[in-house]
Amino acid sequence: MSGTWYYIFTLIFFLFDYFILAMGLNIQYGETGILNFAYIGFVAIGAYVTGALSLPKSAGTGQYYILGFSMPFPFNLLIGGLTASAFAVVVALIALRRLRTDYLAMVLISLSLVLYDVCNNYVPLFNGADGLYNVPEPFAGVLHLNTNSFIPFFAGVTGVVALIMWFVMSRIMRSPAGRTFRAIRDDDVVAAALGKNVFRQQLKSMIIGSFYAGIGGGLIIQFSGSFNPTAWLPGETFVVFAVILVGGVGNNIGLLVGALVVETLLVHLPAFLPAIPGHPGLIEYFDAVLIGVLLMAMLWFRPQGIVPERTRKAGAFGAGERLGAEATVAGEEAVTGDEAVAPLTRSAVQPEVTGQ
Amino acid sequence: MQLFWLSVGFGFVTASVLAISAVGLSLQFGITNYINFAYGDFMALGAYFSYALNNELLHINIWLAMVCGSLGMGALAVLVNQFILAPFARRFKKTFYVLIVTFGLSLILLNLEYSLWGADVRFFNMPLQRAHHFGPILLTNPQLVVMGIAIITMLGVHTLLKVTRLGKCMRAMSDNTALAMTSGIDTKRITTVTWFLSGTMAGLSGTVLGITEGNLTPAAGELFLFVIFAAVIVGGVGSIYGAMAGALLIGLATEVSAAYINPAYKLDIAFVILILTLLIRPSGLFARPGRV
Amino acid sequence: MTAPATTSSARNAWENAALSCEGITKAFQGVHAVNGAAFAVPGGQITALIGPNGAGKTTLVNILSGSMTCDRGQELIGSTDVTNWPSHKIAELGLMRTFQLSRELGGLTVLENLLVAARDQAGERLWNIFLRPGLVRRQEKDNVERALDLLETYGLYRLRDARASDLSGGQKKLLEISRAVMASPKILLLDEPMAGVNPALIERIGGYIIDLKRDGVTVLMIEHNLNVVERICDHVIVLAEGRTLAEGRLSELRENEQVVKAYLGEVINAGTTR
Repeated sequence: MSGTWYYIFTLIFFLFDYFILAMGLNIQYGETGILNFAYIGFVAIGAYVTGALSLPKSAGTGQYYILGFSMPFPFNLLIGGLTASAFAVVVALIALRRLRTDYLAMVLISLSLVLYDVCNNYVPLFNGADGLYNVPEPFAGVLHLNTNSFIPFFAGVTGVVALIMWFVMSRIMRSPAGRTFRAIRDDDVVAAALGKNVFRQQLKSMIIGSFYAGIGGGLIIQFSGSFNPTAWLPGETFVVFAVILVGGVGNNIGLLVGALVVETLLVHLPAFLPAIPGHPGLIEYFDAVLIGVLLMAMLWFRPQGIVPERTRKAGAFGAGERLGAEATVAGEEAVTGDEAVAPLTRSAVQPEVTGQ
Repeated sequence: MQLFWLSVGFGFVTASVLAISAVGLSLQFGITNYINFAYGDFMALGAYFSYALNNELLHINIWLAMVCGSLGMGALAVLVNQFILAPFARRFKKTFYVLIVTFGLSLILLNLEYSLWGADVRFFNMPLQRAHHFGPILLTNPQLVVMGIAIITMLGVHTLLKVTRLGKCMRAMSDNTALAMTSGIDTKRITTVTWFLSGTMAGLSGTVLGITEGNLTPAAGELFLFVIFAAVIVGGVGSIYGAMAGALLIGLATEVSAAYINPAYKLDIAFVILILTLLIRPSGLFARPGRV
Repeated sequence: MTAPATTSSARNAWENAALSCEGITKAFQGVHAVNGAAFAVPGGQITALIGPNGAGKTTLVNILSGSMTCDRGQELIGSTDVTNWPSHKIAELGLMRTFQLSRELGGLTVLENLLVAARDQAGERLWNIFLRPGLVRRQEKDNVERALDLLETYGLYRLRDARASDLSGGQKKLLEISRAVMASPKILLLDEPMAGVNPALIERIGGYIIDLKRDGVTVLMIEHNLNVVERICDHVIVLAEGRTLAEGRLSELRENEQVVKAYLGEVINAGTTR
């Protein structure tokens, strides 16, 4: 297969994978308002666990890692996703319960950095700075694909997974559960006053979103056959945020668009531009700067993203039109019979401002 | 036991670096009410400014370069706030947006550093270091100077806040920005000054971090950021003196633990303390009431 | 429970209380916002909570609805002790509240605002979304019909698909109340429902509140507008300096020297021109 096709299918894989990652972060941040700055950590957990499960016992392989059960695809992937979710539960119980927005963000970034530090240094866990490699190809024994055909095949598999996960996420977002998430995002005090158990809903959101993160990460390690700390510096979380904010928060089509724009800029651009002699990596650096600038520009000029959140109209619920109901207009000076109300001498009452 | 006292000495050094950076962060947070996630990169950039003056473009004495580099970072912080952060903060009610902007700023600054100085390790041009004994504690010249700088800075901040009119205005704004505005305080000017101070202290702490670590890399600031967060949260978010106390506690704890566990993880101890604080006393040591 | 009964109607209230509290105390940095408040809200009636500024009324409502905890005291809904329960648990028992400054769920439509308030939605559980979609769909349809009925009643039908953040002040007030009503409350705490509202709308809202009483809802409203209080409230509780000053009918309370003094005479007398 020519280099161009190889390249295009790699691009397609990352498009689908980032789409999955974006959906996961979207339900946490876009729908529920949880600023999960540790998101990339959950992706990494999914990747490492998926890989380590499919590898054979570490003794004798030259790598050091836990697990090593030679588990076949897709079981290892599913467990990778579930592990990320389990981790989310722990994080939610310790941090989410106690902290508001900025402080939560601080703790989550710290978590991300510490996770990175530990995985980078503690070799017996996931082979330290070298990371996992020689991860067995999925379906290797069954399909006997060579490298050339594996890439488009797995890009296709990822596409199918993305489709299924898209379907599931759509149903959730359109349901009362999604509506409750958005209510919490808009005003959690009001949501609680209306009877919603805010923490439990946030926990649900974290679990679902982290599962998506874990699956996305697991697919990466299965596609590339390797995964090491350089792939997930804590700043990578920002790239996923960029996908959501550029594409359109709360809108699945928007996420796909965002994945296309951000991921194309991230992966595409450096490969096409000639490397500047004497300055290796310069293109990548400029690229990252570009993403940062692009995001700020989007936030400023079009904060709703390229594809804005869709309003859910009454008609969508199957409610019929009510003629005559339109005639009643609220908030305007509808004249009632009691016009003879005496002008009220209200003392200049300031609404009570109390600490809440 | 010898090792213990040695690490106590190092602990004071780390605490000194932490104190400057934690107070710089707290000052800015108190006024603007959002965390600057690019703070670690401010530190690194300030260190690189000092490096450029000390060992690259010019060859100035390290301490002089440090002062100039820090002031340079302070000026840059003012510009960043003026043209990027303040407009976003004014426009969007929810702090989400400006937090993401600082996150993005962090990415931009980090990669600018990579572009200009590369990923290789850099070194300051330091005079020969001599070690001094203080009983069982062993400290070098630069370490002593760093501790001295930290003490001067803490005293300076204390004086600023308690004695000067500027400091009183800052404290007023930190308590209740709306009220401060209606009381005739020029909040814009105070904000600008605060960013200058915050940026300068970031540059200062970044440079001394590079001095005490012995080297300079672009990501050093970011990786240190969570230790600063730990100091700030343990001390009590919003409290300047809390930040100082937190810095001392975390500085000592990380270095002393390094004597007993694998030193590669000593900074992670800060995170453990952070989590314990969250579980036991989430408001921290010196919490400002109504802040959490 | 010892009741600071000052009038016969007050004594009656304690016997049929839907909501009652005793000794509620709450201090902010040493300053007591509420200092031993105690009263009983009779079931099925409209009760007003009045008092000068700083008397602690909103703080009290926050405590009663669970948004805030009290330092000391006891709160009962019916005979259940709900002291310091979190707000969602209190809401589950049927106590709903509105906020003084309307808090609409800005990113949602007006209809969705009401739908959020519907109780016991099966569709909030993931299990049901995927395994019992028919049930979820049916519930949604029923809730939508009910919500649209409410919107019609409150005159907001035309705005059903509008973003809640785009509404005018008066419309947001109506949304605030109708949303609380959508949750089928047994007890409704209204925090200054008439504040900042034009006289015609005051009439309307007063009408809605009377309708709620007719439907069996117990209403407790903070109000400064004594004209309204006189016209629609059956029972009045006076709060001053964080504690209950008196309880009873407004006519009885006008005779009460302490109450008159607390209000400096102005507002009470003004409300009598009718």
